[in-house]
Amino acid sequence: MFRRHNITARIFERQIRTPSPGTSVHCARRFYENIVPGSTIYDVECPDHSFRKFTEDGKYLISFSRDHQDLIVYRPTWLSFSCKQEDCDSQDLPVKAKKFESFFTRLYSVPLASASELICKDFFLYAETNQFGLFATSTAQIYDAPATGGAIQGVPSIEKITFHLLRLEDGVVLDERVFRNDYINLAHSMGVFLFDDLLAIVSLRYQRIHILQIRDSGSLVDLRAIGEFCREDDELFLNSSAQTISSVDKRAPEHMPMNNAVNGLHLEQPAQENPFLTGIKQRLLSFIVRGIQSEEKDEAMRIQSLKKKFYFHFQDYVDLIIWKVQFLDRHHLLIKFGSVDGAVSRNTDSHPAFFAVYNMESTEIIAFYQMSSDELYSLFEQFCDHFHVPSKSSLHMNFISSHSNNIHALEQLRSSKNKATSFSLFIKKVLVSLPFNCQSQSPSPYFDQSLFRFDEKLISAVDRHRQSTDHPIKFILRRPPHTLKFKIKPGPEAGVTDCRTKRISSFLFHPTLPLALSIQQTLFLQPAVVNIHFRR
Amino acid sequence: MGSWIVGNWPSFDPHNFSQLRPNDPSAPSKKTPITYHPTHERTLPPPDQVISSEAKNILLRQFYQRGDEKLRPKRAAPENLAPEQECKHPRASVASSSQPPK
Repeated sequence: MFRRHNITARIFERQIRTPSPGTSVHCARRFYENIVPGSTIYDVECPDHSFRKFTEDGKYLISFSRDHQDLIVYRPTWLSFSCKQEDCDSQDLPVKAKKFESFFTRLYSVPLASASELICKDFFLYAETNQFGLFATSTAQIYDAPATGGAIQGVPSIEKITFHLLRLEDGVVLDERVFRNDYINLAHSMGVFLFDDLLAIVSLRYQRIHILQIRDSGSLVDLRAIGEFCREDDELFLNSSAQTISSVDKRAPEHMPMNNAVNGLHLEQPAQENPFLTGIKQRLLSFIVRGIQSEEKDEAMRIQSLKKKFYFHFQDYVDLIIWKVQFLDRHHLLIKFGSVDGAVSRNTDSHPAFFAVYNMESTEIIAFYQMSSDELYSLFEQFCDHFHVPSKSSLHMNFISSHSNNIHALEQLRSSKNKATSFSLFIKKVLVSLPFNCQSQSPSPYFDQSLFRFDEKLISAVDRHRQSTDHPIKFILRRPPHTLKFKIKPGPEAGVTDCRTKRISSFLFHPTLPLALSIQQTLFLQPAVVNIHFRR
Repeated sequence: MGSWIVGNWPSFDPHNFSQLRPNDPSAPSKKTPITYHPTHERTLPPPDQVISSEAKNILLRQFYQRGDEKLRPKRAAPENLAPEQECKHPRASVASSSQPPK
């Protein structure tokens, strides 16, 4: 359908025409085709902080001091200067307007980390309903920590990790939660998932998933800890029956599989300190066994199949540990299991991984898939948006382009599927992003695939550092007339003369205003070059 | 220009709507509009029916459904068909049509 591109014509259209049902947000977003951050202020004089991101409602810009001790919060505002000449559009901005302070007002600075701790500058989660921010500070990592107190061997230990809950309006610290001698993956908020008011924190070292709730008053309340025990009263039951177990002689290990019952069933393991598997492992193994059992109808074939598929790999299954977790809704978790080696290594491709869906209320495993499962891939292709859990509290976070809600993203996925030489390798590559990192994508409409086309390798909604190029990044209209609307060029205006040093850029787009920051850094701790892209 | 129904609304051709006899509001028409009644009861809902929305989202429904299919023991010899038919439950129409053949 031909739509007029002129902004005045669009505003008149908006007055008389109601959008098709369910598309009011998409219709409103089309105005972003006309209002683009086309002007750039290069190399703005700004305080030497590491800018983290804009909050999803656009009210705050979060940044950390260079020494990783303080949190500084800014409020994004806008330029205010007037031009009295006749031809204002061609006039350049006055020098005193080209400042960082024209766009950002400093609200406060809060010291979060004490002497030996550092703020993890990759970690930030925002609870939009109450405008709470969650930050993390930690002490140094100890690599060869002994496995004491139920810890897994091979996972490093951090002496103290503190999560701070702040009210961002005024910077008041509302609550803290400390984890001692533990290891939680804080980089890019990988070990923590926030959904509405529920927080899931994965303790890799003790193999527990802590579920916390953020109350409106600002306190963090423990709801449950899944891992060793699944239900709240498992520990009590096991302790009371431990006395009777220890008095019975150790029997030979049973060969028949156990059915998944309520509490307390166990597989006896000779020559092990604790005869029980952890609660969640028990659930997982019995689900796998039941699945294999029900595949065959003949009794003899069933036992053969169990031997081949389960008992042969039994130790591998028992050695699986929880890597990462995300919520699928308030009661269900998607858990990624893998080997101990893969948990801390950077390259997880070579390590086998498995996915399981776990219901926290009934403590049952609902589904179990391998990394290269066709079935899981087809569910991911059809229902990707349900893996990015839609939050009721924030409307515009639900419109981030994915291949389930955008035809262009879907075509891109399909074309890379057709180009892939091996389908199972392709599935592995796609599913490696599951479970998703919480709040890792920018809701800015400039990343909407149905509005603009841009080079995904150079810039995208996912906030991670990318290799910097000298050429500006172009944003081209998707719809006819397919014109170039604006360019984002990180780094100084004249380009960089020294091509040998590697430069990385990161981009912070405001969720609603036509405002973006591009930050280019070299790896040698030189001050970063910050450009402001805005609409004049 | 024709006086049609209430007020003098403009129209392109003054002869438009000239045949129309508007209802006189002072003397209401004696004809009641025709109402239609069903002749059968096949489409009535059961008296205790409650319509509510599904709490689980579609992704979770798919996981549960596939899990149930896998864990349900496969049909053995034909003589076992009779007892298994009683535990068959109606499948939602979403499932059967939404899976593309691989």
